[in-house]
Amino acid sequence: MKLSRLVFPALLAASLSGQGLDPAKLLKLPVDTWPTYNGDYSGRRFSPLSRINASNVTTMTSAWEYRNNTGAAGDDNTSIKSTPLEVNGVLYFTVPDHAWAIDARNGRQLWHYKWETRGGIHIGNRGFGMYGDWLYFETPDNYLICLNAKDGTERWHVEIADVKQEYFSTPAPIVVRNHIIVGVGGDSLDVPGYLEARDPETGNVQWRWNSTPRKGEFGADTWPNQEAMEHGGGMTWVPGTYDPELNLYYLGTGNPNPVMAGQGRKGDNLWTCSIVALNPDTGKLAWYFQASPHDTHDWDAAQTPVLIDGQVNGQPRKLIAQASRNGYFFLLDRTNGKNILSKPFIDLNWSKGVDAKGQPIPDPAKEPHTNGTLVIPASGGASNWPSPSFDPETGLLYVNSTSSYSLFYLTDTEDKPEGYGGRDSGVWSKVALKAIDYKTGQIRWSHEYGRGGGGSGILTTAGKLLFTGDPYGNFIAYDPATGHILWHTHLIANVSNGPMTYELDGKQYLVVGAGDSLHAFTVLH
Amino acid sequence: MFRLLQTGAGIIILTAGLAPLAAQPPRPGRNFLISRDVPDPAAVERGQKVFVARCGFCHGSNANGGESGPDLVRSVLALDDEGGDKVGPVIRSGRPDKGMPAFPLTDDQIKDVAAFLRSRQQAAIDRNTYTIQNIVTGDAKKGQAYFNGAGRCNTCHSPTGDLAKIATKYDPVALQSRLVYPRTQRPRRAEGPDPKTVPTKVSVTLASGQTISGTLEYIDDFDVALRDASGDYRSFSRDAGVKVDVRDPLAAHEELLKKYTDDEMHNLVAYLETLK
Repeated sequence: MKLSRLVFPALLAASLSGQGLDPAKLLKLPVDTWPTYNGDYSGRRFSPLSRINASNVTTMTSAWEYRNNTGAAGDDNTSIKSTPLEVNGVLYFTVPDHAWAIDARNGRQLWHYKWETRGGIHIGNRGFGMYGDWLYFETPDNYLICLNAKDGTERWHVEIADVKQEYFSTPAPIVVRNHIIVGVGGDSLDVPGYLEARDPETGNVQWRWNSTPRKGEFGADTWPNQEAMEHGGGMTWVPGTYDPELNLYYLGTGNPNPVMAGQGRKGDNLWTCSIVALNPDTGKLAWYFQASPHDTHDWDAAQTPVLIDGQVNGQPRKLIAQASRNGYFFLLDRTNGKNILSKPFIDLNWSKGVDAKGQPIPDPAKEPHTNGTLVIPASGGASNWPSPSFDPETGLLYVNSTSSYSLFYLTDTEDKPEGYGGRDSGVWSKVALKAIDYKTGQIRWSHEYGRGGGGSGILTTAGKLLFTGDPYGNFIAYDPATGHILWHTHLIANVSNGPMTYELDGKQYLVVGAGDSLHAFTVLH
Repeated sequence: MFRLLQTGAGIIILTAGLAPLAAQPPRPGRNFLISRDVPDPAAVERGQKVFVARCGFCHGSNANGGESGPDLVRSVLALDDEGGDKVGPVIRSGRPDKGMPAFPLTDDQIKDVAAFLRSRQQAAIDRNTYTIQNIVTGDAKKGQAYFNGAGRCNTCHSPTGDLAKIATKYDPVALQSRLVYPRTQRPRRAEGPDPKTVPTKVSVTLASGQTISGTLEYIDDFDVALRDASGDYRSFSRDAGVKVDVRDPLAAHEELLKKYTDDEMHNLVAYLETLK
């Protein structure tokens, strides 16, 4: 790749000292810096750090703890689902309407920013994107806010979606060169999804990609009519990944609307429940792969599409993998979206196999019906937003997976249903940490947790360690090759984000969110 | 989309999706899904009468669109409205270019119509209030045969014993959920065993050979806790040499989950509905 295309020289020069982010860091493995949601653009959440490793992890101990204080009287959602950024010794993280900077060495608070909300669903926030000295995050009422990293003062805010139409926003913006890529969420009332690039200086729109086609566009024939496609959902609520060499941004899209009542939107409903590749300079679609054609179970394909530089039949290939909410593991060629492998990673009862393109064929008998349909998995899915991890040393993709049965009821039988149009009621679920061989889709090892739901992200490191949380409040280090537990501690809440790590002054820190607190660990030398 | 609750939209997210379903929907109000003001029910009722009489012919009596008028549940203008400030001018002036005549409604009527439209929007938005239709559609005789045959339900249950008058204790939706798996979803870190289900028994055998038995309170990879026959709480580290034997009383239900067809499930509901 040509560095000149990837970096703005002026920004580079301005950012080499002080708190700002050197954009070159975005193109490297995360060592002293964790500059973007997944640590780097690949979505692997694999750290090359090894000071904390399999031979000394049993001596790992608390470095510091930080408990957030929103200053409000109880109705704030204080659970930390964001993955903190770490840049020049400072951690930056968010919960809905709130943002903080703290010292990465000791947890001392530098500043707290609060947004006065106008409404919206306060379910979570996945954190910041950073460009030079500027931080960007989204709010439940759909504002993109730009803060000064030095002191947390607001530079500007711009509206990116209408809260009155039931949009709400949770993703961490992803910064690709001078594009602040922002997504939106909200599937209560049949609004169309989109992804935008915003200008880092002004917040102005650079491009918008609609996740459902407009009349006459390619893909429109997968919808029955204009109204259905323009109210067809397809939210963009989990940050995507990026290949600088191909200059493609990869995104998993949300489910179609109305969510559980499909009778008013017959067809495959592109580009909902899909993995799409977009040009980050123009927003133009390069290719798509649909994980759930005509979904009626709320199984979006928003889960992180992970970039793997691997081998297929002995040949080096640029690959992309997803452990999707519908229970399928997909392996694609990320240069063109061609399917290489589709294999369930939990037992399923809704699919009649895959078609010639590798896309699952839904069984109409397992769509929601008025008298209840028993389906595995539940609407929460076999996986969800919590981050997976890929360890290039083991060749395994790790995911906290849920096997769950649920009764799906169609409640709106009109020709043109609205909203969800149905309900589902989970009756049984079990969670397991699974290690998937990317080449075969086979489960190399699985660690069963018992009943409950999964909500923890995963980190792997060159220290031959895998870190994640269980459903009972434990934070656990595993051997990524075997699944053996090497270390654990019990936190005051379940792990609520994806763990991250960085090295400062020759010391490696491991930071994990659990409810309203960040916990930092290290090994003593 | 989301729904991981505590896990987030999936949990809250998981939780929103897993919330127990009530046959009778709760009265709507401000909640996780509804953050805007909920209109006064009396205004909604008055507004509905005005709307059906004056607007329903084109917009549909439920406001979700008709032959000539657009859907007002999804309407950006109607969603943007507060107390008639956006829909009022359109009602009074009409949209002659689109064939909509003016309607000389009073200020109060416009406020009432706006309240009705907001209630229609919120009825679509708040999925937790959706009404489940009739689910007793199966064949009770086939359900009885399954109960005593392939399902082997009669191994543990009796229509004149533990299931006597079961249909008077649970509505059909709850009955269907509980026959599939008779345990309500609950927070993962909740204290104590599930009060509505048969307790899970556990025996812990220590390295010394001593065995302690009781009702399972908690178990993870590292610890196990039980309440013994005298009601004392006992917890143990699952160290090397410690054996834990959990006897899940619902194991047969878990096995059946993988085998039921939807017809068999509906037939069983129809059969249990006869136990009144």
